[in-house]
Amino acid sequence: MKRAKLILTVWLTALALVLAACGGKSGDTGGQSGTSGQQSGGTQQTQEKVKIRLATWAGAEEAKELQAVIDEINAKSTTFEIVSEPIPADYYTKLQTMIAGNTAPDLFWLSQEYIASYAARGALLDITDRLAQDTRPAANLDDYFPEILESAKYQGRVYGLPWIAQPVIVYYNKALFKEAGVPEPTDDWDWQTFRETAKKLTNKEKGIYGVAFNGWPPVQMFIWQAGGEVISPDLKSSPIDSPEAIQALEFYNSIIYNEEVAPPLAVINEEGFAELFKKGKLAMFFGGAADDLDRVEGLDVGTVLVPKGPKNRTTFAWTASTVISSQTKHPDIAYEALVELTEGIHNWKIVAPRKSLATKEHLVKSEPRKEKSADTIIKATQEMRAFRVIPRQPEWDTIFWEQVQDPLFSKKGSAAELARAARPKLEELLP
Amino acid sequence: MAEWHAEWYLSTLSHWLLVGAAMIGLMLATYAVLRRLKVRREAAAGYALILPWLLGFLIWNAYPFAYSLYLAFTEYDVLQPPKWVGLENFKYMFFEDPRFWPSVKLTVLYAFISVPLGMAGALATAVLLAQDVKAVGFWRTLYYLPSVLPAAATALLWRWMFASKGLINTLLSPIYRLLDMEPLMWFADERLVLPSFVIMSFWGIFGANTVILLAALKNVPKELLEAATVDGAGPWTRFFKITLPMISPSLLYVMIMGIIGALQNFTAPLFITTPSGAGTFLNVYIYQQGFTQYKMGYASAIAWFLMVLILILTLLVLRWSEAWVYYEVEVRQKRR
Repeated sequence: MKRAKLILTVWLTALALVLAACGGKSGDTGGQSGTSGQQSGGTQQTQEKVKIRLATWAGAEEAKELQAVIDEINAKSTTFEIVSEPIPADYYTKLQTMIAGNTAPDLFWLSQEYIASYAARGALLDITDRLAQDTRPAANLDDYFPEILESAKYQGRVYGLPWIAQPVIVYYNKALFKEAGVPEPTDDWDWQTFRETAKKLTNKEKGIYGVAFNGWPPVQMFIWQAGGEVISPDLKSSPIDSPEAIQALEFYNSIIYNEEVAPPLAVINEEGFAELFKKGKLAMFFGGAADDLDRVEGLDVGTVLVPKGPKNRTTFAWTASTVISSQTKHPDIAYEALVELTEGIHNWKIVAPRKSLATKEHLVKSEPRKEKSADTIIKATQEMRAFRVIPRQPEWDTIFWEQVQDPLFSKKGSAAELARAARPKLEELLP
Repeated sequence: MAEWHAEWYLSTLSHWLLVGAAMIGLMLATYAVLRRLKVRREAAAGYALILPWLLGFLIWNAYPFAYSLYLAFTEYDVLQPPKWVGLENFKYMFFEDPRFWPSVKLTVLYAFISVPLGMAGALATAVLLAQDVKAVGFWRTLYYLPSVLPAAATALLWRWMFASKGLINTLLSPIYRLLDMEPLMWFADERLVLPSFVIMSFWGIFGANTVILLAALKNVPKELLEAATVDGAGPWTRFFKITLPMISPSLLYVMIMGIIGALQNFTAPLFITTPSGAGTFLNVYIYQQGFTQYKMGYASAIAWFLMVLILILTLLVLRWSEAWVYYEVEVRQKRR
C-alpha cells in the first residue's frame, strides 16, 4: 500500500504541475508585477518601475508612431513604464475577453459608443476626483470641448480622457469640378446647393458620381443640423419621428444610393467607399479630418466645411478616449500614466480635443501633412459634436440601423412610418 | 514592434516546455496508477497515451459545450457575470426577434437546394473521373484542388465573379442582350442572394465528395456489371439498377455531411456583404449576436437551436434512408 500512496502523490504532483503551468501561461499575459518566480533570470531593466499595460486598436504604422510617443513618456517617468499592446483586429472582442478573464490591460482605448456601456457595467475606474486635484493641462477638464468630453462621462462622472476629436469635413476633387464646369464649394453652402452640386457632377456613363453615402456620414449629423435629436439631452426620449428628424432622414434618403447624385450600393460594395474617391470616381467625400484623402497621389483635393442644414452647421466628431480598467492593481500609477499619455497623444493625433490646442499652429506641428486643410479643420472644430450615448448604445444603434435607416434606404417604407414604428423600441433601451 | 524581445519568447517557450514535461509526468503517473489498480498493461498504456487528448477534449470541448448550454438560459454581455433569465432567450428567439426566422428560412432552404444539386454534380464528376482516360491521376488531382484552397479566399473570389461587371455577368452579357434585360445584380439584389449562394456552393462539388463517391464507384463489383451486360442491360440500366444501389451508403454519408455543412455555412456569407442582411445565415447570425452585439447568452441559445435542428434533420434523413440505402450485409441477413 505504501507504493500506491507514493504513486498517488506523484500523480497529484504532476497534475498540480500541469495546472500551474497552464495558470502560469495566462499569468504571463497578465503579469505586470515581474515578481513571478519563473521569470527570475536575465531581465536587465530595473524592477521598480510598474508596468502599465495599454491596449489599443492601432495598426502597424500607427502603433509605431504611438510607441515613439510612449518611449518619450517612459524615459521621463520614474514610477511607471507603459507597455503598448496593439490589437489591430477584433479589438473589442479581445478586450472583452481579457476583462472577462481578469487579465484586462490597465489602460485601453474606447471609442465614444462604448464608454457609457463599459462604465455602467463597472469595467472602468471613475477618475473624477483624481482629475479635480490635478493641475496638469491634460487633466484640466475645462479645456476640453464640452461636447467631446461628454462622451467620456457616465452619470456625470468622468471615466476617461478623450485623445482625439476628428470633425467631419468635405474633401473634393478639383479636377472633376473643373471638368463639369461647376464652381468649387465654399463654406457658406447648404443642403440644397450641396445636392445640386452633386447632381451636376454626376456622370453615370463615365461612372463618376457627385458624392457617396452608405450610412456614413452618420445620419445623426443631418438630424442635428435640422435642429433634431436622436437621443434627448435628458436621455429620456428618442424623438426620431420629430419633423426635424424626418426632414433630415428624407434629405439623406434623397442622396444615398440615388443615381442622380451618388453611386448605388452595388458599386460601393464592389469598389469600396473611400476608395471610390481615391480612384477619382467621386467628386466629393465626407471624411474625418485626419483621413489621408487630401494627400492621394495624382489627385488635387480641396477641403470645405460640411454643408449647412436648416438650423446649423453642426458636424459629427469621431472621438475616442483612453480609460482605466477597474481591475487595475495600481490605480494611482495607472492614472499618472493616463494623464501623461493623453498629453503625449494630444501632441501627435489630430485634432487634440482641447480648446487651447485647436489652433492651426498646433495642428500643423502634430501633422505637417495636414497644412493645406488646417484652416477648414480648425473651423470645423468650432461646430463639432459627438454622439450622445447610453449604456445600451450598441443595441440602440442596431435597431436604428435595421429598423429605420436600412429599410428607408432600400425603399421599404417612408421615413415617417419607419421612425414612428421604431421610436418605442429605441426608447425601451434608454436608461 | 519588430524588435527582438528574447525574454518574451523564452518565457513562452519555457511555459510550453513546462506544460509538456508535466503532461508526460501525468501520463506516466496515470499509467502507474492504472497498473496498480490491476488494469491490463495494454489498456493502461492506451489510457495513458490518450490522456492529453482526453484532457484537451474535456477542457476545450466538453466544458464549453456544457457552459454554452448554461449560457443559453442567461443574459451574458461578457463584462458582467451571466444573469439567469430562464426561457427568456428562447421566447425572444421564437416570438419576437424579427431577424431569427428569416435567417432559419434562408439556412434551411440553402441546405435543401444546394445539397441535392451538389450531390448530383459530385456524382457526375466522380463518374467522369472513374473512366479510363489518359492522365487520370492529373485530372483527379485537379478536381480536388478547390478543397485545398482557403475558404476565405474562395469567398472573395466568388464575390468578385458575381460583381455587377464581374466575370459571370460578362459571360452572360450576350444572353442579357438577346433577352433585352438588365444584368442581374446577384449578391447586391436581395431576391438573388439565395440563388447566388447556391451557385457558389457548386464549388464544393469538386473535392472531398467527389473523392468519396469515386472510391465508392471503384468498389462496385465488376462481376455484377458484367453479369448485367451479359443479360442485356444497357449502360443506363446498369447505372441505376446496380451502380447507384451499390454506392448508396456513400451517397447517404455525403448527404448527411452535406446537410450538416450547409446548415453551418459561415465563411462565405461572412465575407460577402448583402443588402439588408439578406445573406445572414444562422451561423453568421450567432456570430453577430455573440461577438458584435455581445449577447453571448442569446447567441448560445441560437447555437443550441441550430444543434437541435441539425440533429432532427439528420435523424429524419437517416430514417428516410432505410427506403433507399442498400447494405449488402443487411439484405443477405434478411434473406436467410
